[in-house]
Amino acid sequence: MRILVVEDDKDLNRQLNAALTGAGYAVDQAFDGEEGYFLGDTEPYDVIILDLGLPKMDGISILEQWRRAERNMPVIILTARDRWSDKVSGMDAGADDYLAKPFHMEELLARVRAQVRRASGHAKSEIECGPVRLDTKTARVTCDGQQVKLTSHEYRLLAYLMHHGGRVVSRTELVEHLYEQDFDRDSNTIEVFIGRLRKKLPSDVIETVRGLGYRMSRGADEA
Amino acid sequence: MKLKSLAFRLFATSAAWTLLVLPIAGLIIYELYRDDVQATFDARLEKLVYAIAVDSMVGAATPIAPNNRYEPLFEDIHSGWYWQIQPIDDATAPRLGSASLDGAEIDIPFRHNIKPDANGARWMNSTGPMGEALRMVEVIDTPYYHREGPRYSVLVAGPIDWLESRVANFLTRLAVALALTGIGLVTVTLFQVRFGLLPLRRIEQGLAEIRSGAAGKLEGELPGEIEPLQVELNALIASNQEIVDRARTQVGNLAHALKTPLAVITNEAREDKGPLGRKIVEQAEVMRDQVNHYLDRARMAAQVRVIGRATPVLEVLDTLKRALERIHRDRAIAIQITCPPSVRFAGERQDLEEILGNVCDNACKWAGSAVRVRVTADSRRTPGRLEIVVEDDGPGLSEEERARIGKRGVRLDETKPGSGLGLSIVTDLVQSYRGTLQLAPSPMGGLLVRLDLPST
Repeated sequence: MRILVVEDDKDLNRQLNAALTGAGYAVDQAFDGEEGYFLGDTEPYDVIILDLGLPKMDGISILEQWRRAERNMPVIILTARDRWSDKVSGMDAGADDYLAKPFHMEELLARVRAQVRRASGHAKSEIECGPVRLDTKTARVTCDGQQVKLTSHEYRLLAYLMHHGGRVVSRTELVEHLYEQDFDRDSNTIEVFIGRLRKKLPSDVIETVRGLGYRMSRGADEA
Repeated sequence: MKLKSLAFRLFATSAAWTLLVLPIAGLIIYELYRDDVQATFDARLEKLVYAIAVDSMVGAATPIAPNNRYEPLFEDIHSGWYWQIQPIDDATAPRLGSASLDGAEIDIPFRHNIKPDANGARWMNSTGPMGEALRMVEVIDTPYYHREGPRYSVLVAGPIDWLESRVANFLTRLAVALALTGIGLVTVTLFQVRFGLLPLRRIEQGLAEIRSGAAGKLEGELPGEIEPLQVELNALIASNQEIVDRARTQVGNLAHALKTPLAVITNEAREDKGPLGRKIVEQAEVMRDQVNHYLDRARMAAQVRVIGRATPVLEVLDTLKRALERIHRDRAIAIQITCPPSVRFAGERQDLEEILGNVCDNACKWAGSAVRVRVTADSRRTPGRLEIVVEDDGPGLSEEERARIGKRGVRLDETKPGSGLGLSIVTDLVQSYRGTLQLAPSPMGGLLVRLDLPST
């Protein structure tokens, strides 16, 4: 899952980056409105965290322009302006959630998880695909009840596939959603990670659809 | 017309002046007319007495009856018009009189006390043979060819009644004419005052519209004298609004400036699991609560009661419903709104959004599946008020819990962030609008919040 953080306060942006990366997300950072707008307009993000009071371009305008261009990724507004009139204008501009500063990081992570789940059509925080079970809250993966130890890149890859269980996910899509913008995008690395996952999990859990990409095996379903 | 109004003052002075001047003018006209009629009457009597004196004395040793009748009424018995010639020195000399006297004589009891005028005529008022009031003139003369002969008194009398009835007749007509003029003037004054003060009425209506929120400024073209007032008033309203808006913006900026660093501090300290980190987190939360509390207070202070604010309640509820359904869309809460479109809240839109946003958000947080919002305004039973009832089908609150959150600043659930009821700002806002907030169990099973607020 790839997340964009648009926040002009460097410290807060760094903290958000650290917390989100720690929770297994690939994070891009933008420090002003123009940069944020450009990234959100050109890159496929699973969630965007958007501050409203930004230099160069304010958050509401950014959001409105994204929505006009039919960029429909979930957007969480994170702002110090916590009056309902601000919330209403934010939601009217097309935000999916609204969090007022100061906030608890766990609260923000919960909201991010909720947006990711909602975007992929899952109602619960635990996703099951056959014997494999993913707890998005704790970022733990179990197979037949046994915990599976995964590196962060392995976890990102598995989580993305499980969120989109039953659907064929192309290699390009995986690259776009698993790595930060400035990561060396060599799609061969995806194959390396798929190979590692197949070793740690029952090998038939991840199917290869030739010429198209990968899919979590049939019968995989959300709990 | 009110006693203390400008209209009354203008009308009263004008009417008083009219009522004072008209009678005085009438009196003067009456006196002038009376003098004029009297002079005409006297001139006639004088002309008659000299004509008769000449006619009866010329070419005779003793007076003879004048040939000319001069006045037909001299022939009418007791007509009030008489002449008579009487000797003064020789009592045996002949006496003559008009036919109207019918042999009677007019007594001239005070002839000697009256000084003759420049022509030798004496004027007097007396009574005739029938006791009627008479105006008389007498000249003393001698026959033309007998200058040293005995003197005669020649007298002509006319009825004072004739004079009086003319004057009385004139007075009646004068009074009627003046009364009509008076009524006309007062009516015109009334109209003039109404018409002249029409712009003031327009201002009165304009202000009422501003107060009720139907208009944002004083509209329309006003006369030159009060145009500066209109300009100044509009400037005042605009500046009032501007000050409030600026204060709000400043408060918003302050919120932003304080809350972002506070978020950074809290997040940083949470990373540190040691006692220092815990202390910083604890103190940062105290700061957060203080900042929130005083920012709310600052917003409230900035909230000068701006005249002429009206917010359509349904509009606010509709936008809130959109936002809330989006925020809580995972739980598919059905928000049902019943609100007549005409109901308007007498206050700032932002404040109503804040009040209803918090109350409805709470309802959505706790609701099982449904939230109901009902707005009523009974203009006859409770004029100027509106009632908003927000209820949900959640777990509700016990009586003790309801009593506790009635106190300001108390959060029911302190453990989960953002799950406090946020009622502190709501109660402050409601109070600043002299409204009330009540909590009760809802028939739907959850909490019922009843708000009473001013409407326009």
